Amino acid sequence: MALLTISGDPASRWEEVAQAVAQLLDFELVTETRLAQWMTEEFGETPLPARVWAPAAVAVLARLAREHPLLIALDGAERLFRPAPWVMRARITTSDAHRVGKLMLDLRLEKSEALARLRELDAEQKRLRKARFKGVSADPESFDLTLSLTNMDAAQAAEVLAAAAAKRLDQQGLLSPNAADEIEFETRLELAKRGIVPAGRARVTRASFGHPSEEMFANLLDFYRIQWEYEPRSFPLQWDKNGGVTEAFTPDFYLPELDLYVEVTTMKQSLVTRKNRKVKMLRAIYPHINIQVFYQKDFQDLVFKYGLKMVHS
Amino acid sequence: MTPARENVPDNIERILFTEQQVSARIAEVAAEISEKYRGRDLKLIAVLKGSVFFLTALARAITIPVKIDFLAISSFGGPSQGPTPGLVRIAKDLDEPIHDEDVLLVEDIVDTGFTTRYLLQTLAGRGPQSLGICTLLDRSVRRIVQVPIDFRCFEIPDRFVVGCGLDHRQLYRNLGYIAVLDPERG
Repeated sequence: MALLTISGDPASRWEEVAQAVAQLLDFELVTETRLAQWMTEEFGETPLPARVWAPAAVAVLARLAREHPLLIALDGAERLFRPAPWVMRARITTSDAHRVGKLMLDLRLEKSEALARLRELDAEQKRLRKARFKGVSADPESFDLTLSLTNMDAAQAAEVLAAAAAKRLDQQGLLSPNAADEIEFETRLELAKRGIVPAGRARVTRASFGHPSEEMFANLLDFYRIQWEYEPRSFPLQWDKNGGVTEAFTPDFYLPELDLYVEVTTMKQSLVTRKNRKVKMLRAIYPHINIQVFYQKDFQDLVFKYGLKMVHS
Repeated sequence: MTPARENVPDNIERILFTEQQVSARIAEVAAEISEKYRGRDLKLIAVLKGSVFFLTALARAITIPVKIDFLAISSFGGPSQGPTPGLVRIAKDLDEPIHDEDVLLVEDIVDTGFTTRYLLQTLAGRGPQSLGICTLLDRSVRRIVQVPIDFRCFEIPDRFVVGCGLDHRQLYRNLGYIAVLDPERG
């Protein structure tokens, strides 16, 4: 078991660093969305009370970490596990000016709007920390390594962090199965006191892409260090008279940083037409959802330009 | 003037913008840039290799003094990437800092917005006074990531184009016009 936690201030690009480090170390990246899915598999659809969120998360993560090295990219992740040789806790910071600049670029805001949005994000982070961990601020002593992106870009930070994590986790050794059992036991005991029993159903599943185009698009996003989730949500499009869903649409990708869904098309015109129809319906029914279509022609350009191998179907 | 067919490579399907049209449009955009940045110190930053031809033409048409600098980034699927695409990175950094300078990023083409977003993020982190984008071509139909473009010479259709710095496997950058390429042809 090897655990690396990465967190940071809102809009400091810590998620981008985490994505790159996970790729460099070949660790499973655990995002808020992915953990939420596992916790739903484990504890059911009913949301857990905030006060048991931390032990519930540890119960799931400790079990999954027996089989996979995990990079936990969550706000407050440093508070999930006690200091130990097999865990490394990192924090990414940057100046307020850089954070405002990121919001201006990503959300296309004026400086004053970005500043206001940053204050909202900081307040949201404090509220979440208070609910989950009781404390609102990140204690500097809770981190093994803090990196500032003020004079370093995300790629450099990722390389430094990956090298440091590899060194530390390699030198310090991994957690013994007995210690893992102990963590699981402690958290399960805490949950049991509140009548919550983990079912052991959550599994690490790597995205199983339905088409080579999707895998290449995932590679493209990884290359640009853009976080993605594969088919995280289905949108009902049509219902029968009893309210049952008769048609739904599951966009291929969700890019959390950009709050954007992306549908990747294939070469078959019939499929492109069908997908276009669903995208049009989704836009009509859910006007607040941002969705873009990545067409096969975009891949053709990559193939043409760089001579990449591409399977057509 | 359109070049004679015998002087056009076989792979070229059609010419979108002739050399004269390109020059005239660059002159118009250069005039807008000169006006906007008059009285300020402007630095043009071009991304190697594709933007070099555009940067040169643009800089010569701008009527205010400008500084220039270059950077290069690794390519998706480029030769150094190996079997997996790896991560985008700066392959050649700027020679000078850009802190407190008015910076205009000069691009040959903006399409999905992925590369431009990465470049903007990288440059924005270095504290310039202002940061704008000027692109020769804008293929906005392919945009995935929205990026703010301040100056654009041409909006182009959803086709693979070469010329004026744009390549197909490193060829055709030196064409003075912008053309649609059909790699299957010729």
